[in-house]
Amino acid sequence: MSSIIPRVVRSGTLPPDADAVLFDGRTAHAKSVQLWVNQNAGVLEIRGEGIDQNWPIADIRLIPDQAGQKGLVLGCEAAPLARLLSANRNLMNQFPALHKRRANISRWRLLRWAAGAVASVALIILVLVPLMANQLAGMIPAKGEHALGQATLEQIRTALDETGIAPLPFCENEEGLAALAKMEARLSPQKDPLTVRVLDHDMVNAFALPGGHIVFFRGLIEAADTPEEVAAVFAHEMGHVVSRDPTRHALRSAGSIGVLGLLFGDFAGGALVLFLTEQLIEARHSQQAETDADAFAYDVLSQAGVPPSALGDMFDTFRTQFGDADGVQAHFLSHPKLSARIADARAATPDGFEAQPILTDVEWHALQNICD
Amino acid sequence: MTDDSPWTKGMGDDGDEGPKDLGATFVENTLYGPDLNVLDGEFIGDRGRVFGLALKTGLLTVLTLGFYRFWMKTRLRRWYWSGVRVGGAPAEYTGDPLEKLLGFLIAVAFLAFYIGIVNLLLMFVSFSLFEGNFAAYALSFAGVVPLWFYARYRARRYVLARTRWRGIRFGLEPGAWGYAWRALVHWAVTILTGGLLWPRMTFWLEKYRTDRTWYGDVRLEQEGKWTMLYTATKHVFLAAVVAGIAALLLWADNIWGISVALVAVIWGGFGLAYYKVKTWELLTNAKRAGGIVFHARPKPLRVFWIYVLGYGLSSFVVTIFLVPIGFMLLALMGGVEALASGGAANLTSLSSWALTAVSIGSYFAIFLAWGAVAHAFVTMPLWRHYSETLTVIDPQALHLVQQRGRDSFEEAEGFAEALDVGAAI
Ligand SMILES: [Zn+2]
Repeated sequence: MSSIIPRVVRSGTLPPDADAVLFDGRTAHAKSVQLWVNQNAGVLEIRGEGIDQNWPIADIRLIPDQAGQKGLVLGCEAAPLARLLSANRNLMNQFPALHKRRANISRWRLLRWAAGAVASVALIILVLVPLMANQLAGMIPAKGEHALGQATLEQIRTALDETGIAPLPFCENEEGLAALAKMEARLSPQKDPLTVRVLDHDMVNAFALPGGHIVFFRGLIEAADTPEEVAAVFAHEMGHVVSRDPTRHALRSAGSIGVLGLLFGDFAGGALVLFLTEQLIEARHSQQAETDADAFAYDVLSQAGVPPSALGDMFDTFRTQFGDADGVQAHFLSHPKLSARIADARAATPDGFEAQPILTDVEWHALQNICD
Repeated sequence: MTDDSPWTKGMGDDGDEGPKDLGATFVENTLYGPDLNVLDGEFIGDRGRVFGLALKTGLLTVLTLGFYRFWMKTRLRRWYWSGVRVGGAPAEYTGDPLEKLLGFLIAVAFLAFYIGIVNLLLMFVSFSLFEGNFAAYALSFAGVVPLWFYARYRARRYVLARTRWRGIRFGLEPGAWGYAWRALVHWAVTILTGGLLWPRMTFWLEKYRTDRTWYGDVRLEQEGKWTMLYTATKHVFLAAVVAGIAALLLWADNIWGISVALVAVIWGGFGLAYYKVKTWELLTNAKRAGGIVFHARPKPLRVFWIYVLGYGLSSFVVTIFLVPIGFMLLALMGGVEALASGGAANLTSLSSWALTAVSIGSYFAIFLAWGAVAHAFVTMPLWRHYSETLTVIDPQALHLVQQRGRDSFEEAEGFAEALDVGAAI
């Protein structure tokens, strides 16, 4: 077939450098052509029946990620719809800019929309969702709030599980639970019933969840020097329950998790949701919320005959054990003004305070072994 | 085959470039009649390459917190499209990763609002009224379903607008909302009739899409009747009958019950593959683009086998990955226990971080291995089989097809991407 192509254009009688097929991008017609690389003029000459094109060599691109590894599929910046197919792969060496890419999208447009997307996400996560969560937290009925806490607790137990078989177990030693119940009765004689649990985990932490859930980790109970220190943490978490901080927090994460999942896609999304669930425990409430919870704890503790300074002792104990840096483990330790909080707790204890032990030695021993 | 076709000359013996008749005007043949150009489909490219490409781009996606996924998708599509050759001419995917990123950003800007606020409200209502999150998930799902069909059609429009063959663009007319409500009605009817009208849905949705599809200036048409798809359902119905027998046997405490139930499950799996392959064949053979018609003849058993073998192999590879990771986890956990009893709490927290790191690492390793193996042993073999069993019959009309204008389609696949409308690649 190549023999019928009139070789009229090129003045010399050099044989063609390659045979090829041209799709000109106007019709689906496949046209047989011959190619001459003219480095002097800087063009690729394409000649065939009724075809007389020159492609600037600097504009010739290789179409990337081809499955076939033997032929060449070439394009040209100047004629973006045309394609040249040749079996002669050696031709590649003749074109210097085969892999150069052109951005078809304006960088500014991209930046504008990136800024728009970030602004939209920031507005939702930082402003609208917290605002709505604060409003809605006050309107949710008690039963619903309790169910929300229950669902969040299950999520956390699943996230903390390292075996991949069952959620993290609760500690349910009978004497230990009895001691915990006694502590609860002393601290909140006639208030709404709480649901208090101990999770079998090393973490030195405790947290509150919506609907009166208070959860201790075994690590915290084991690290405490006295039952009064545990009671102080208990009272602090009660302060969060009463002010509905956890409810706000849970509603906020319900709004934010979906948006963040949207941003990262299903690939990293799974890991991200797991990570965020772990963040739930850390529950960084606002500084004001922490101060209010501390103040609430002083009242509860004084009424129960426990010196409020126990909260300060607890901070002190943990600080000497783990140092200031180990903040990841406990949200009340990560507070920047830890020393101030210790001082506050000691100051809240009046002179000549008559302390009554909150647990007997036997009960305290049972509580420390609640996970056995 | 004409040996002086320029595309064929200079090729190696194994001929993986395989283009035949590209420069030829027509081939005399006995099967389809004279004066017809017969363009056979084929698939170029081997498992090793797509495995490597999927693994490399997947790793980059993980390392960039998911942002490389636009490039990953583009590069894989370019590879698959260029592997499909009909009459020797490869298809081409011209999508741009940056364009995808832009479309995604546009979708995020709008959807973040919807998803953040609506999720929060649904959560609140669900817990307030029903004391659980089931209602929230159900409502959220119901709200997303129409959007899902909408996004699917839009994604198809984008992909077709970025697909070229012989230098000519494909295209899909706008009509995503029309598609979404039709799909909803068809699904409702299918569910209400216990699946009896499934072929009707398959046919009409395909017809909606096909009749709006263009190749250059030629519109595609879906011909045929929906009832013609009933032959494709035969194995599903036979499997249902076997399942019925199994239920009776189990009810009568017959020892054969379990074995018959197993047969029903396998037969059911084959029935679904058969339905998919057979409807594709029947629908493709009833399509036309002007005078151009198609002859597809995929083998259902072969496709079923690819699924079984491919996914079996993927699972096997993932299991191999899991064994050393499992040992590492056990060792680490043992370490944690020892340290905890020794009272070195700081070290305990250190190894719990290591444990988290290993967990996340293994999660991604499994994700990457699964994806790459599935590309090499499921997706690519399927593409190859469908390509190899397709023939385009052209009554000398193809070369007259004219180019169509560019569909700029700013949002690209943004909504589909954001809503996770799972396209295979
Ligand atoms: Zn607190």
